[in-house]
Amino acid sequence: MLLEVKGASVAYNKVVAMRQVSMQVPEGGIVTIIGANGAGKTSTLRAISGLVRLFAGEIHFGGRRIDGLPPEKIVAAGIAHVPEGRRVFPQMTVEENLRTGAFLRRDRQEIETDLEKVFARFPRLKERRRQLASTMSGGEQQMLAIGRALMAKPRLLLLDEPSMGLAPVIVEEIARIIKEIAAGGVPVILVEQNAELALSLADYAYVLETGNLALEGRASELHENEHVRRAYLGI
Amino acid sequence: MLELLAQTALNATYAASYIALVAVGLVLIFGVMGVINFAHGELFMLGAYAVVALYADLQLNFMMAVMVGLAFVGCVGLLMERALFRPLRDNPLGGLVASIGFLLILQALVVMGFGVRMEHIPPVTQEVIAFSDRVRFPLSRLYVVVAAVVLLTALWLFLKRTRFGWALRASAQDPEAAALQGISINQTARIAMFIGAGLAGVAGALTAPLVSVNPLMGHSVIVTAFIVIIVGGIGSLEGAVVAAVAYAFVHTIVTTFYDGVIADIVGLSLMLLVLIVKPHGLFGTAERA
Repeated sequence: MLLEVKGASVAYNKVVAMRQVSMQVPEGGIVTIIGANGAGKTSTLRAISGLVRLFAGEIHFGGRRIDGLPPEKIVAAGIAHVPEGRRVFPQMTVEENLRTGAFLRRDRQEIETDLEKVFARFPRLKERRRQLASTMSGGEQQMLAIGRALMAKPRLLLLDEPSMGLAPVIVEEIARIIKEIAAGGVPVILVEQNAELALSLADYAYVLETGNLALEGRASELHENEHVRRAYLGI
Repeated sequence: MLELLAQTALNATYAASYIALVAVGLVLIFGVMGVINFAHGELFMLGAYAVVALYADLQLNFMMAVMVGLAFVGCVGLLMERALFRPLRDNPLGGLVASIGFLLILQALVVMGFGVRMEHIPPVTQEVIAFSDRVRFPLSRLYVVVAAVVLLTALWLFLKRTRFGWALRASAQDPEAAALQGISINQTARIAMFIGAGLAGVAGALTAPLVSVNPLMGHSVIVTAFIVIIVGGIGSLEGAVVAAVAYAFVHTIVTTFYDGVIADIVGLSLMLLVLIVKPHGLFGTAERA
């Protein structure tokens, strides 16, 4: 397993956001975490990337324990996190945002190659490379946030609500890109409120309810699960 | 009349230079760390005392004293980051209160070391550039202007062209997103604090021979710097420079034609006016999350 979360618990000001959550992410493919608002999906990602500390449990990445490390060490280990709400740097240009994603890398030549790859994947970003990120649309900002994460050359990509607030046609485009990234060899953890989308993309899924792991299984199986259909797919 | 205006413009340019150095440092620290450094005026004062100790007392070369002043006050900034602002990172108000406490400590230390009297610093140069009989610019003031332009240009290039400059800008715009790119918050905080404090120190050191140096001199500087960053838009470095120039011109002109107290009132009124018309300041975008 590439990533193992073992009995991880997180609290904010003594309010428990995630209790004894365990999950595993293999070396390839897409794992999704679905659940309602406040179920602990974002907390799980924030715990993995070191933005919040666990009060119990462990997280291992590539055989190495990473919980308790500061975020920059976890990025260096190979985890890139596209946070909820995209969080691009508003007063930086598109290109500056992308290059900031490669902050820890020293392989100058390859950074240029990867920049061209990102531009090839997102032609819109290339057209706007000199534009300030704050002037772009939501979909473009999402693409920029994903491109920025790819510039870190990650071994694991965390995506938090990439479809949030986007028009259906843009969501389709983002979905296609997520599939491409996973097919290209970078495993993805996808957090989504849009369970239909998430289950259609993912290989394996975890369902969180009020901070607890409620269900897990192959995405195709969960898609047929009675409880999931009623609670998350509205069928 | 024309000559008087020309002379006033020269004086204002000089004032704008050191105010800009102080204000830009204050903005940088606020932008990256989210903390208002109330002790910033005292860092200016420490820079001036570095010149008192090294240049006036130990008779070292003036430029050398200024350089040491920059490095020394920068290191005081590092100390503040480690001892005050890092433990209080999640508590911006705590950082502000701690910096007020720290400024009192700095004042007391300087009083213990140097006494409360006004320091006399021998002039660096007596030379004056005379444009005409009545338009004259002392060379020592020109030094301050040149140093400010050089330092601010260097800072600009650092922020735009270097890896750590980018890291600083990214942290200022979104600290958490910056952390997710592998940028260490502790590291950017250290850099911001060293540069911000160093700029205040160098401003104090450069102007020391031209102003009255005493342990309480930081007070008027911090008031001016606050007016400037509020007018410029808190968080905007460009705004701080533009507002420093604007404020210095208004203040110097009013001082020349009326008097200094009126000039202070006019300065504060302008700040209020800007706040009413543009609450985020002239160059401000939005408040920091």
